[in-house]
Amino acid sequence: MGAEVVTVSTDTEFTHLAWQRHEGELAQVKYPMGADVTGKLARQFGVYNEVTGLAHRGVFLIAPDGRLMAMEVTADNIGRNIDELMRKFKASLHVARHPKKACPSKWRDEGDQTLEPSAKIVGRVHDALSG
Amino acid sequence: MSTSDSISPLRIGQTVPDFQLNAYDPVAQDFAVFDLEAQRKAGKWTILFFYPADFTFV
Repeated sequence: MGAEVVTVSTDTEFTHLAWQRHEGELAQVKYPMGADVTGKLARQFGVYNEVTGLAHRGVFLIAPDGRLMAMEVTADNIGRNIDELMRKFKASLHVARHPKKACPSKWRDEGDQTLEPSAKIVGRVHDALSG
Repeated sequence: MSTSDSISPLRIGQTVPDFQLNAYDPVAQDFAVFDLEAQRKAGKWTILFFYPADFTFV
Protein backbone atom coordinates (compact mmCIF):
# COMPACT_ATOMS: atom_id res chain seq x y z
CA MET A 1 0.00 0.00 0.00
CA GLY A 2 2.97 2.29 -0.44
CA ALA A 3 4.16 2.16 3.15
CA GLU A 4 7.02 0.29 4.71
CA VAL A 5 6.93 -0.72 8.34
CA VAL A 6 10.18 -0.66 10.27
CA THR A 7 10.22 -1.91 13.82
CA VAL A 8 12.75 -0.31 16.13
CA SER A 9 14.15 -1.21 19.53
CA THR A 10 17.47 -0.56 21.23
CA ASP A 11 18.50 -4.18 20.62
CA THR A 12 21.17 -4.95 18.04
CA GLU A 13 20.41 -6.44 14.63
CA PHE A 14 22.06 -9.62 15.91
CA THR A 15 19.52 -9.91 18.71
CA HIS A 16 16.74 -9.18 16.20
CA LEU A 17 17.98 -12.09 14.09
CA ALA A 18 18.09 -14.43 17.05
CA TRP A 19 14.64 -13.39 18.29
CA GLN A 20 13.00 -13.63 14.87
CA ARG A 21 14.42 -17.11 14.30
CA HIS A 22 13.52 -18.33 17.79
CA GLU A 23 10.04 -16.89 18.33
CA GLY A 24 7.38 -18.72 16.34
CA GLU A 25 5.07 -15.72 16.52
CA LEU A 26 7.57 -13.85 14.35
CA ALA A 27 7.90 -16.48 11.63
CA GLN A 28 5.78 -14.43 9.22
CA VAL A 29 7.46 -11.09 9.90
CA LYS A 30 8.19 -9.30 6.63
CA TYR A 31 9.50 -5.93 7.75
CA PRO A 32 13.01 -4.83 8.59
CA MET A 33 13.85 -4.81 12.29
CA GLY A 34 15.88 -1.70 13.03
CA ALA A 35 18.64 -1.50 15.65
CA ASP A 36 18.68 1.82 17.49
CA VAL A 37 21.41 0.71 19.85
CA THR A 38 22.39 4.20 21.04
CA GLY A 39 18.76 5.31 21.37
CA LYS A 40 19.48 8.29 19.13
CA LEU A 41 16.42 7.73 16.95
CA ALA A 42 14.14 7.04 19.92
CA ARG A 43 15.33 10.32 21.48
CA GLN A 44 14.52 12.22 18.30
CA PHE A 45 10.96 10.96 18.51
CA GLY A 46 10.72 11.51 22.26
CA VAL A 47 10.23 7.84 23.12
CA TYR A 48 13.56 7.06 24.77
CA ASN A 49 13.33 6.01 28.40
CA GLU A 50 16.49 7.38 30.03
CA VAL A 51 15.97 5.20 33.10
CA THR A 52 15.70 1.84 31.37
CA GLY A 53 17.58 2.60 28.14
CA LEU A 54 14.64 1.17 26.21
CA ALA A 55 12.15 2.71 23.80
CA HIS A 56 8.53 3.38 24.74
CA ARG A 57 5.75 1.96 22.59
CA GLY A 58 5.50 4.67 19.95
CA VAL A 59 4.36 4.57 16.36
CA PHE A 60 5.10 7.32 13.84
CA LEU A 61 3.84 7.87 10.30
CA ILE A 62 6.22 9.69 7.94
CA ALA A 63 5.11 10.99 4.53
CA PRO A 64 7.27 10.69 1.40
CA ASP A 65 8.14 14.40 1.76
CA GLY A 66 9.53 13.62 5.22
CA ARG A 67 6.76 15.24 7.24
CA LEU A 68 5.58 13.58 10.44
CA MET A 69 1.86 12.97 9.86
CA ALA A 70 0.71 10.93 12.87
CA MET A 71 2.06 9.66 16.14
CA GLU A 72 0.84 7.55 19.01
CA VAL A 73 2.66 6.67 22.21
CA THR A 74 1.24 4.35 24.84
CA ALA A 75 2.33 3.11 28.26
CA ASP A 76 4.46 -0.02 28.23
CA ASN A 77 1.61 -2.35 29.11
CA ILE A 78 -0.84 -1.02 26.52
CA GLY A 79 -0.66 -2.48 23.03
CA ARG A 80 -1.33 -0.59 19.84
CA ASN A 81 -4.12 -1.31 17.43
CA ILE A 82 -3.06 -1.95 13.84
CA ASP A 83 -6.56 -1.08 12.56
CA GLU A 84 -6.31 2.42 14.01
CA LEU A 85 -2.83 2.81 12.60
CA MET A 86 -4.04 1.81 9.14
CA ARG A 87 -6.98 4.20 9.49
CA LYS A 88 -4.57 7.04 10.15
CA PHE A 89 -2.43 5.97 7.22
CA LYS A 90 -5.41 5.79 4.83
CA ALA A 91 -6.66 9.14 6.10
CA SER A 92 -3.21 10.65 5.55
CA LEU A 93 -3.21 9.36 1.97
CA HIS A 94 -6.72 10.75 1.45
CA VAL A 95 -5.95 14.25 2.71
CA ALA A 96 -2.66 14.24 0.77
CA ARG A 97 -4.70 13.71 -2.40
CA HIS A 98 -7.49 16.07 -1.29
CA PRO A 99 -5.77 18.85 0.63
CA LYS A 100 -9.00 20.76 1.34
CA LYS A 101 -10.67 17.78 2.99
CA ALA A 102 -10.49 16.49 6.54
CA CYS A 103 -11.14 12.93 7.70
CA PRO A 104 -13.20 13.01 10.89
CA SER A 105 -12.82 10.51 13.72
CA LYS A 106 -15.37 8.05 12.32
CA TRP A 107 -13.77 8.04 8.84
CA ARG A 108 -12.47 4.55 8.20
CA ASP A 109 -11.86 4.17 4.47
CA GLU A 110 -12.29 5.66 1.00
CA GLY A 111 -15.94 6.48 0.38
CA ASP A 112 -16.67 7.44 3.98
CA GLN A 113 -17.82 10.97 4.67
CA THR A 114 -15.20 13.68 4.83
CA LEU A 115 -15.48 17.31 5.90
CA GLU A 116 -14.37 20.45 4.13
CA PRO A 117 -13.38 22.85 6.91
CA SER A 118 -14.77 26.32 6.21
CA ALA A 119 -16.75 29.11 7.87
CA LYS A 120 -19.91 27.31 6.73
CA ILE A 121 -19.49 24.39 9.10
CA VAL A 122 -18.21 26.25 12.14
CA GLY A 123 -20.52 25.17 14.95
CA ARG A 124 -22.41 22.97 12.47
CA VAL A 125 -20.19 19.93 12.18
CA HIS A 126 -23.02 17.71 13.37
CA ASP A 127 -25.26 18.95 10.54
CA ALA A 128 -22.44 18.63 8.02
CA LEU A 129 -21.87 15.01 9.02
CA SER A 130 -25.53 14.04 9.04
CA GLY A 131 -26.56 16.09 6.02
CA MET B 1 24.44 11.76 23.79
CA SER B 2 23.46 12.51 27.37
CA THR B 3 20.16 13.78 28.65
CA SER B 4 21.52 17.32 28.92
CA ASP B 5 22.21 17.70 25.21
CA SER B 6 19.15 15.80 24.05
CA ILE B 7 17.19 17.52 21.32
CA SER B 8 13.56 18.45 21.59
CA PRO B 9 11.39 15.69 20.13
CA LEU B 10 9.85 15.93 16.68
CA ARG B 11 6.37 17.34 16.47
CA ILE B 12 3.51 16.83 14.04
CA GLY B 13 4.12 18.45 10.66
CA GLN B 14 7.85 18.78 11.20
CA THR B 15 10.26 17.22 8.74
CA VAL B 16 11.96 14.11 10.05
CA PRO B 17 15.71 14.34 9.38
CA ASP B 18 16.87 11.54 7.10
CA PHE B 19 18.48 8.66 8.94
CA GLN B 20 19.93 5.22 8.37
CA LEU B 21 19.43 2.33 10.71
CA ASN B 22 21.20 -1.02 10.82
CA ALA B 23 18.56 -3.70 10.59
CA TYR B 24 17.83 -7.37 10.26
CA ASP B 25 15.70 -8.24 7.22
CA PRO B 26 13.71 -11.42 7.94
CA VAL B 27 12.70 -11.81 4.28
CA ALA B 28 16.27 -11.84 2.97
CA GLN B 29 17.40 -13.47 6.21
CA ASP B 30 20.29 -11.06 6.18
CA PHE B 31 21.45 -7.80 7.69
CA ALA B 32 20.42 -4.62 5.93
CA VAL B 33 20.35 -0.85 6.30
CA PHE B 34 17.06 0.99 6.44
CA ASP B 35 17.49 4.35 4.68
CA LEU B 36 14.72 6.93 5.12
CA GLU B 37 15.95 9.06 2.25
CA ALA B 38 15.89 6.14 -0.20
CA GLN B 39 12.45 5.22 1.07
CA ARG B 40 11.13 8.74 0.55
CA LYS B 41 12.64 9.04 -2.92
CA ALA B 42 10.80 5.85 -3.86
CA GLY B 43 7.59 7.69 -2.95
CA LYS B 44 6.94 5.46 0.06
CA TRP B 45 5.48 6.25 3.45
CA THR B 46 7.26 4.96 6.52
CA ILE B 47 5.72 3.56 9.67
CA LEU B 48 8.23 3.56 12.52
CA PHE B 49 7.16 1.15 15.21
CA PHE B 50 9.10 1.45 18.47
CA TYR B 51 8.89 -1.19 21.22
CA PRO B 52 10.92 -1.75 24.38
CA ALA B 53 12.81 -4.97 23.80
CA ASP B 54 13.19 -8.18 21.82
CA PHE B 55 12.11 -11.40 23.56
CA THR B 56 9.19 -9.61 25.21
CA PHE B 57 5.68 -9.11 23.92
CA VAL B 58 5.34 -6.31 21.39
